[in-house]
This record gives sequence, structure tokens and C-alpha cells, in this order.
Amino acid sequence: MERPIAVMLEDAQIRAWFCREVLPLERQLVHFIRHNWKVEGDVMDLMHDVYELAIRGARKGLPNATRPYLFVITRNHLINRAKRARIVSFELVADLETVESEIGAFDQERYLSARESLRRVQDALAELTPRVRQIVQMRKIDGLSIKETAELLGIGSDAVRQQTSTGMRILAEHVFGAEPRPSPKSKLRMPYTKGGKA
Amino acid sequence: MSRAEHIGQQAAEWLIAQEDGLLSPAEQARFDAWFAASEGNKAAYWRLEAAWREADRIRALGPRVPMLDGNRWQAWRRRAWRPLAVAASIALVAGLWAAAPQLADYVPAFIEDEPAPQQAFATSLGMKKQIGLQDGSRIQLNTLSVVRTQIGAKRREVWLDKGEAFFEVSHRQGRPFIVHAGDRQITVLGTKFSVRRDGEKVIVSVLEGRVRVDELKDSRLLRSSVIVGGNIAMAQGAATLVTVRSEEKVQDTLSWRTGMLTFDQTPLPAIAAEFNRYNARKIVIDGESLENVRISGTFPSGQPDAFARLLRNAYGFSLDETADEIRVSE
Repeated sequence: MERPIAVMLEDAQIRAWFCREVLPLERQLVHFIRHNWKVEGDVMDLMHDVYELAIRGARKGLPNATRPYLFVITRNHLINRAKRARIVSFELVADLETVESEIGAFDQERYLSARESLRRVQDALAELTPRVRQIVQMRKIDGLSIKETAELLGIGSDAVRQQTSTGMRILAEHVFGAEPRPSPKSKLRMPYTKGGKA
Repeated sequence: MSRAEHIGQQAAEWLIAQEDGLLSPAEQARFDAWFAASEGNKAAYWRLEAAWREADRIRALGPRVPMLDGNRWQAWRRRAWRPLAVAASIALVAGLWAAAPQLADYVPAFIEDEPAPQQAFATSLGMKKQIGLQDGSRIQLNTLSVVRTQIGAKRREVWLDKGEAFFEVSHRQGRPFIVHAGDRQITVLGTKFSVRRDGEKVIVSVLEGRVRVDELKDSRLLRSSVIVGGNIAMAQGAATLVTVRSEEKVQDTLSWRTGMLTFDQTPLPAIAAEFNRYNARKIVIDGESLENVRISGTFPSGQPDAFARLLRNAYGFSLDETADEIRVSE
């Protein structure tokens, strides 16, 4: 309430833009990063960096075209990281330098239909462990509070919070990001871990 | 844990805490600091917020297939029974209380701990205050109000000495939360409601859950009534009037929490009295013909002059303004 109104407005504008324009690109963004950066464990961190840079840049004014804006940021960030890290080959950097041409190239599935969104949420739900899925359903479908969920399941509120947090993060990853992978539906997994990394 | 994971976890914790109820001022300040610390934090927060909102879509899938925990789940699924069960348990508690007051008084000496310290909070004219209690409950204090709190291991007690307060009570098994307001005593197990004292009159508005209003005389229980969400009880002397109203009505009576006053076909003198609770500059309604004018609307509680101007412009009443009075007449 004490925050200056100008700042709040800006946050509101940036948030709206971020949710409307940026998040729907997450799937392509993750794909792009994964394709150009072979260290799987870095992918989510890099995506996070890109979001941070994108928001920082957008403070000066929202970009006219979000996709090229986002992918230029991503490419530059990958190049900087590669140069700094000196652990990736020059081919990668060279590859990235030529990437520009394809940045604006693919333009399908920009805005999702309600049906597609629902399908994604369903797919994401299937990625959760049974317990986390149950908790998400109790919260979302039955509208139960943390306390009620805890009482019903006979576990502590902290455990419910923990599982809700896990559920939220896996949902985000699948609703916006990951392509459906042929994986056993209810295997135990933590957010942001893919393949080898435990 | 990777950086992104770590920040994602923090963002999730904040979202869950906020969904769980109003943050205390201290928590809110911590959140604001975290949120302002980096654009990355904002990105993580907005992203999870949007995903969590997306998950609302699963409601569209309709009733779900029960899974796991057969019995407990089945029991819960028969939701039709739930309000009854709640009512029954409350009746049971109420029954115990009423039928055997000595039982309520009987607390084994070895369980009763040291009396908890009493704390007092007050607001001056036009001020509001948010109070976070040790047990996680919250009190929002309206203008010109005084409360004292005593949060113990066995009992949680609050005395509304003056004014009006909104209570958000966190559920604690076996630790009733009791609000004393004059000769009325309001007992709750976990709910959101407000209590207003206006001289002898006590008004209880329940937003969620249930509370029991007891009438006491020399600390003997005379009568009890149960008020549920959406109801407003007005108690004065021996009478307790429970009006069954909609949730919006209760929301209206609670609009002071956001600095607004909401009226629905309210007579002008009552509106003036309401404004005068918040402001040193009093609205005075002058003339009988004005007393029957009824007005609906929502107005900022701190701007009686704006409201008065509206009366002048919309109704053609004349205003006579001095430093501490706005006199409205035909």
C-alpha cells in the first residue's frame, strides 16, 4: 500500500505481459536452450536467467515483438555464459551466432486454446506423484484449505505445504514448458530434475 | 539444488502462505522485500502463480474418481454430510458447554499453565490496525477501538473494550477462542467474523464458519445462539436478533477493512453516524425531511466532505461547512 503507485502499475503491466506473451513461449524457450546447451542440469537456471533479463529489459518499455526479443536475449545469454565458462566448444558459440535467422521462424502454438490448456494441465497432473496429485486435486477441485487437507489425510500442515509447493512447480514446468515425454506416469520425481540428475 | 529451483521453492512458499490467509505485517514486509529484491524472484513468482491458476481448469473435469485411502476419502466424498457433521460437533461442544458449565471450568491444575500475559491494542480516530497473535490468528482493529488479548495454551481470550474488530481465527483443537464484548461472549473454533460494540449494543457479523454468542449475567450463562457465515446478530439487553443475510451483506458491513463504507438503502442519519465514527469533522443532519432519505453506495470512510458534496450535487441539499462540522440541510 505504501509502495509508489507508478512502481505498482509497472509491475502490473510487466506481470500481464509476462503471463500473456512470455510464458506461452516457455516450451520453445526450453527446447531452444536444451538444443544449444548440452549441460542438462543448467537448463532451468538458464531459463530463469532469461526471464530475469527479459523483465529487466522490459522495464524500459515492453518489446513490440516478444518472441524475437526473448530469443535474442537467450542467445546472447548463452553466448556470454559459454564465453565465461570456457567449458563449451567454440562450435557451440559459432552455432549460436548463426541462430539469429531462425529466431523468428517458428510461429505456431502461440496462444493456447482453452481445450489445449486443459489438456496441458491434465498432462501435467499425470506427471505428479499420486500423493502430490491427490493434494492438488483436493485443493483445486474440492477447494480445501491446507488445514482441511492435512486433517483429512492425517498428515501435518507443513507436509501439505511442501507437497503443494512441489505440485505447483511441476505443474508450472509442464503447463508452460516441457514437451510431453514418454515417461512412466507416476514415477517419483522432484521438480526440475530430468533424466540423469537426481 | 539449482538456483532456479531454490527461487522457485521460495516463490511457492509465498504463494501458499498468501493463499492460506492474510499475511501479518511482518510477513508482508518480508514478502515485499523478497519480491523487490530481483526481477528473477518476480519471474518465478508470476510463473508459479500463473501455473497454479491454470490448474483451476481441472475443476472443469468434474467430480473425480476416488483414489487411494478408500475409507477416509469415501467419507469425505459424501460431502452432503459434512455440514451436518460440523453442526453436530458444534452442537456437541455447545451442549457440553451449556449442560455442564462445571466441566468447562474443570481444568486439571497440572494442565493449566501460567496465565498468559495480557496485551492491549488501541486505535485512534480514523485509524486501523492489524494485529497478529501468537497462535496465528489475526485481528483487524477499526477506528477508535480497544482490545486486550490473552493467548494461553488452554484458552485464547480477547476483550473488545470499545469499538469494532474483525477476527480471523486459526483453528486450534481444544483451544477455544473467546471474544468478550460487554455481556456477550463469542466462542469460536476457527472462522472469520467481526464484533462491534456500540454502547450496550453488540453486533456480530460472520463471514465464514460459525460462532456461538452467549449472553452472560454475572458470568452465568443465560442464553446462546449460533451464528453462521452470512448472518449478522445484533444483541442488546436480553434480545439477540439474528438476521439471515447474504454473504455480500456481511462483506458490506466489513468494507471498513479496506477503508470504505458500504450502505444499502441506509437512512441519512445512520450514514452520518457511521462517517462520524471515523472523522473529527462531523456530519450533522439538520431537518426532519432529511432523516428519511435513504442512500446506497460505497464511500471512502475518511472523506466526509466528498460525501457531503455528493449530497449537495445529487440531492440539492445545502452544506454549511466549518472546521469541525459539515451541516447538511434542506
